[in-house]
Amino acid sequence: MLKHTIAAALALGLSAAPALAADPGPTVQKIMDRGTLLCPGHNGSYLGFAEVDDKGAWSGFDIEFCKALATAILGSPDAVQIIPVSFAQRFPAVQSGDIDVIIKVTGWTMSRDTELGLQFSRPYFIGPTNVLVRSDIGATSTADLEGGVFCINAGTSIERIVADYMGARGISYESLTFEKPEELRAALYNGRCDALAGFGPFLAATRFNAPDPDAFEIMDETLALEPESLAARQGDDNFIDVLNWLTNSLLFAEENGITQANVDEVRANPPSASVERFLGVSPGYGERLGLSDDWAYNVIKAVGNYAEIYDGTVGEGSVYKLPRGKNKLWSDGGLLYTLVLD
Amino acid sequence: MLRALKNRKARGWLLQGATLAIAILLVATFVLTARHNLLSQGIATGFGFLERSTGWPINFSLIDISDRSPYWEMLLAGFLNTLLVGILGITLATVIGVTVGLARVSTNFMLNFIGTVFVEIFRNVPLILQVIFWYALLTHLPRPREAYDIGGAIFLTNRGLIVPAFDMSSADIALFCAGFVALVVAGVVLARRIGGLAATALVIAASTVLFLTLLYTGRTPDAPVFTLPAMKGLRFAGGFDIKPEFFALLVSIAIFGGAYVGEIVRAGFLSVDQGRVEAARALGLSGWQVNRFVRIPLAVRAILPALSNQYIWLMKATTLGIAIGFPDYFMVVSTSINQSGQTMELLALLMGGFLVINYAMGAGLNILNGRLTLKGRN
Repeated sequence: MLKHTIAAALALGLSAAPALAADPGPTVQKIMDRGTLLCPGHNGSYLGFAEVDDKGAWSGFDIEFCKALATAILGSPDAVQIIPVSFAQRFPAVQSGDIDVIIKVTGWTMSRDTELGLQFSRPYFIGPTNVLVRSDIGATSTADLEGGVFCINAGTSIERIVADYMGARGISYESLTFEKPEELRAALYNGRCDALAGFGPFLAATRFNAPDPDAFEIMDETLALEPESLAARQGDDNFIDVLNWLTNSLLFAEENGITQANVDEVRANPPSASVERFLGVSPGYGERLGLSDDWAYNVIKAVGNYAEIYDGTVGEGSVYKLPRGKNKLWSDGGLLYTLVLD
Repeated sequence: MLRALKNRKARGWLLQGATLAIAILLVATFVLTARHNLLSQGIATGFGFLERSTGWPINFSLIDISDRSPYWEMLLAGFLNTLLVGILGITLATVIGVTVGLARVSTNFMLNFIGTVFVEIFRNVPLILQVIFWYALLTHLPRPREAYDIGGAIFLTNRGLIVPAFDMSSADIALFCAGFVALVVAGVVLARRIGGLAATALVIAASTVLFLTLLYTGRTPDAPVFTLPAMKGLRFAGGFDIKPEFFALLVSIAIFGGAYVGEIVRAGFLSVDQGRVEAARALGLSGWQVNRFVRIPLAVRAILPALSNQYIWLMKATTLGIAIGFPDYFMVVSTSINQSGQTMELLALLMGGFLVINYAMGAGLNILNGRLTLKGRN
C-alpha cells in the first residue's frame, strides 16, 4: 500500500514538473510520420537472418530485430517494410534514405565508422568467422588447408580476415570470390573449393542446405570475432540511443527471465525497481528516448527476448542449430551484457 | 551582333558553343552537387585510397599481386585481366566466325548445315547462360586428387587445366615474348630487302634459334626451364593453371562472338555483287584468284564496320566474369567499392577504363577501315 502511495506521489510530482521528454530526433520522427520502418532484407536468401517464404513473409534474426525496432518506435511489429538490399547496396541505401537503419549482420569496422558517414550501435551479435570444410580432406585446422582454395563472399570483411589469418601463419591458399551466396555455395558443393570461409551462421545454413550435409563440417578454429552492429546515418544521436537500448532491452529481458509468455505476469507484479521502469510501470524508460514508456514491454510482447529470438531463428529451435557460443550472456560464459538501467 | 546572327556560319558556331557550354555546366553542377552531398554526409572523397593496401587478394593476375598490394595495382591487375580475356576472346571469336561464315556461304551442304546449326544455337542463347553452362561443366570435373592425368604432365581438374610452364615470372615472360617478336619482325624486314619467301623463312628460323640459344645460355645456371605440375598438399605445385573461371569466360565469348561474327562474315560475302565475280571470271582469273583479288577485298570492306561494333560489344561482355568469380576489371572495381566505400571514384575509374579500351579499339578499327575503303572516284 505504502509502495503504491509513493509511486502515485512520484507520478504526481513528475506530472506537476514539466516532463523533459527527449526530442526523438529526425530519424525516429521521420519513421513516426511515415508510420513504417524501412528495414533492409537481403535478396531473401541470407538464411537464418533474412529469409522470405513463398508467401512473401520475412523471417530471421535480423528481421526479428527490424520487427523489434518497429515495435519500439511505432508500437507494432507489422509496421515494418522490408526492402531487399544487397550487401553492396546497404551503405548507399541508408545514406539516400531508402532504408532507415542497417540491420544486416554488418561488422563495425574503422573505415565504415570514420569514412562512410555511418554511426554504429553497440554490437547486437558476436559474429565468429569459421571455416566450413569438406570432410574427406581430413583437415582439422587451417594448417591442413595448405594450398587449398577458399571460397569467400566478395567484398566482405571475410576476405581480409582470411588474408590476415593465413598470412600471419604462413599458410598459402587461393581465394575464389563470388558476389552471390548461391554461386558461392554451388562452388563449394561441387568441389571447386576445398573450404568456405565465412560468418558462422552462414556456414551453418550452407551446411544444412548441402545435398549431402554430412560431407561437410565446421572447423573448431575461430579466425576472428566480428562485432555486428546496427548502423545508421551519422549525426542522429538519439536514434543511436534507441538502437543501443533496443539491444539492451532484449538482453535485459533475458537476464531477468522476462519472456514473451510471462511478460504480462511480470508487469503485473514487477520484482524490482529496474524491471518496473523497464516495463513502463514507472516512467522514464521511454520518455528519455522520445518513445512511449511501455515500448520495451511491447517489444518483448511482440518478438520475445534475445534468447527467444536467437533460438527461433538460428539456434536450437531452428533448423540451423547454431550453438549460442559467444552470444551467450556474460553470466553463462558469453560476451553479451546489459547496460545499467538507472 | 544582329548581323552576326544573320550569318549562317556564325549562327552555327554560336549554337554549338551554347550547347557545349550548357553541357559543361550540367556536368559540372552534377559533379559539384555529388561532391557536396558526399562531404555533407561525412563520406571521404578523393583518390588517396589508391595508395592504401587492399588487404584482400585475387586469384588470377598477370602481374605479381598479394593482399599487401595497393588498390591501384589491384585495379591494374583487373584491367589487364579484362584485356587478356577480351583480346583472346575476340581473336578466337574471329577465327571461329570466319570459319563459320565461310562454311555458310559455301555450296557444300554439310558445311552449310553445320554452320547454320552452330549459329542458330549459340546466337540465340543469352551469353550469361552460356558462361554459367561452361563454368558448371568445368567445375564438375574431378577434384585434384582424382584428376584426369594426361601423360603425367597435363592434369585436368575442376581447379583448371594444369600444364607444364616456363619457370619464369610474368614480367620475364612478357619480356621474352616482346624480345621474340622484335627479333622475328627485324628478321622479316631484313628478309624483304633480300627478297623471296625462302629467305624470309630462313631468317625467321635463324632468329628463333638465335633467340632460344641466347635465352638458354643467359638463364640462371641450373635453374629448370620447365616445371612439371605435381600434386602437393591440396593442389598442384608448379606448372601453369588455366583456371575454369577464365576458361569458361573465354570459351563463351569466343563461341557466342563467333556466331555473330559468322553472320557478319556471311553477310559481307553475300554483299559482293555477283556481276563483279562473273566479270573477274570472264577475265580468266582462277577460282582462287577471284577470291583473293575480288571477293575477299570487297567483302572485308562490308564486314569491317559491323565487326568493329561486335568487337567493342564483346570487350564489354567480359564483365560477365563477375557471375563466375573471374576477377576482371568490373569485379575488382566492385569488390573495391565494397571494401573501401569509395563508390564515386571507383565508378569513374571503371567507366574511364572501359572508355579507354573501347575508344582505342574503335580508333584502331576506324583507321583500318579508312585505309581499306576504295580510293579514287568520289
